[in-house]
Amino acid sequence: MRLVEALGIVKSAKRRDADPFSVFLATGLNPLHLSTFLAAELSQAFADRKIELQHGLYGDLLGNVSRLAKASAEAGIVLLEWADLDARLGIRSSSAWSPAVCNDIVATVKARASQLQPMIEAAAQRMPVMVSFPTLPLPPASFVPGWQAGSLEIELNGIMHSLRSKIAQRPQVRIPSAQKLEMVSPLRERFDVESELLAGFPYRLPHASALANLLAQLTRKPNPKKGLITDLDDTLWRGILGEVGVEGISWDLDHHTQMHAFYQRVLAALGAEGVLLGIASKNERALVESALGRKDLALSSDVFFPLEVSWGRKSDAVARILKAWNVGADSVVFVDDSALELAEVKASHPDVECIQFPTKDSTAIYELALRLRDLFGKSAILEEDAIRARSIRRSQESAEAYQAANSAPANFLEQVEAEISLNFSKAPLDPRALELVNKTNQFNLNGKRFTEAAWQNYLREPDSFLAVASYTDKFGPLGKIAVIAGRQNGTELRIDAWVVSCRAFSRRIERTCLQEVFSRFGADSIKLDFVKTERNGPLRQFLEELLGAAPEPGCVITRQLFESRSKDMREPQEITNG
Amino acid sequence: MDEMEQRLAACFVSVLPDLSPDEIRDASASTVASWDSVATVTLLAVVEEEFGISIADEDPARFDSFKNILSYLQQVAR
Repeated sequence: MRLVEALGIVKSAKRRDADPFSVFLATGLNPLHLSTFLAAELSQAFADRKIELQHGLYGDLLGNVSRLAKASAEAGIVLLEWADLDARLGIRSSSAWSPAVCNDIVATVKARASQLQPMIEAAAQRMPVMVSFPTLPLPPASFVPGWQAGSLEIELNGIMHSLRSKIAQRPQVRIPSAQKLEMVSPLRERFDVESELLAGFPYRLPHASALANLLAQLTRKPNPKKGLITDLDDTLWRGILGEVGVEGISWDLDHHTQMHAFYQRVLAALGAEGVLLGIASKNERALVESALGRKDLALSSDVFFPLEVSWGRKSDAVARILKAWNVGADSVVFVDDSALELAEVKASHPDVECIQFPTKDSTAIYELALRLRDLFGKSAILEEDAIRARSIRRSQESAEAYQAANSAPANFLEQVEAEISLNFSKAPLDPRALELVNKTNQFNLNGKRFTEAAWQNYLREPDSFLAVASYTDKFGPLGKIAVIAGRQNGTELRIDAWVVSCRAFSRRIERTCLQEVFSRFGADSIKLDFVKTERNGPLRQFLEELLGAAPEPGCVITRQLFESRSKDMREPQEITNG
Repeated sequence: MDEMEQRLAACFVSVLPDLSPDEIRDASASTVASWDSVATVTLLAVVEEEFGISIADEDPARFDSFKNILSYLQQVAR
């Protein structure tokens, strides 16, 4: 991004009539153009919010990080550069260098790191904190030549590495990838000597832009995609299966087709992380099954579900896969070597991200792997990620069982031996709860999203409550699949957030969750912060059935009404922290 | 306005958005309230970016008006 573009974005975003999103930037350097880039990047990342960027005082790194810990912000950014850790590592200092001074610099930086750690950890208890470690080169303070890593460089990097390792263990601390930054902003093109001398701003504009982009992405933490649909011929493997046969396709060094094995390994990794993998291929099914049975495949063919193999249109195959997965098209990536097939799918499913597989360009395949990592990457693997693929497979059996039961929901739950457990504990905060609230669209009370800081502040209120429901049945566990958050005022409850995972709401557990909330709080009525959204049709349908009329904002469910319409409900099997 | 003036005027608009189009050509640090030291540094950075030049070695105080900056750019272009 150019500075003039950033200024334009900031100017236009200032006119937004939206809730503020406050970010505190704690650094010792003069943030100058970095502030502009950061405000612009954040304005783009949070298009529905008005960005407020708070600063501390120039030259006061520790004071500013300390202020961050007390700031009323929704996110914090700590930006470290060598000169902020010890002024002698900057060019504005007049202090002489010597071997003894270098030792003292190491001691000073070590002491600074020790002071910073608890401050950053304290801030991270209140909000997500992005911590950027020094991005600029060290000055020639050491006696060793530039091509040798001297003790000063090694020790200083060791101190930073140690601090990074310690704070990275905190769930709300996020650290930008040095490798990613190096790719977009090479080290030798970062430092602006003149600007540092003139204004105390040490970054060249492209570096400030790249750093701001990375920090904004970390702050935004976009929802990862959920599923990948891949083509087979000239994509998962090299060759046209129908022409060359099972033994004729390849993915190895001998045939110069190793990058297909690399792609298979990437898919294997995604599958192991809980990403749904499906196949859409124009082929003969029996041939495909034989090919997927080859022992030298770099991933188990079991990771793919469903296999849509036919001579029909790819868009129809994609539609069937989306239905089987029960996920939105916007959370799915389709990879195919044919531009025509991609265009055909895109025309029918505009929200699906369609990516061409660059069959004969190994470097581009490598780049594709990096792109897939960004699209599907997540900060941590949760229990639900591990069981997602299995539970979707089982949901097919479950759906068949439901149809076979052809009975009331309660009977269905009994027949499938359903166990629903509700956990009402607010501490420690379950990251899955916020993930569900922010990712769920269909069974979602109002579509409202929370930042981590806003979610934490909400649940810190003494009158607020949180219920996280887990589900398992004879087909296997689904993990944590529903969240209800609200406030209690005597016998009146207000529900502000209510979501049920798309993998679970066909199991009719919604009433059970609601019943348990009534029961736990002895409530006479529950007021719902309902808002109609483009995609919460299933939630509206449920409420309409319950209320006997289309739901309105602020609609109320009384206990009497609920009980009269829910006589066939089944009690939860187990209540955690009840 | 010639092309160089128009490009410079666009730089001024991005950094000093309160300036009206009529005021840009006569703008100077002494007459525009929002033209402070930060605006000077930002303006120079935007001008460098727009014209692909480096003016870091020059005295920033020299660039205290639209006319002075335009004059500098015309000199560099010769």
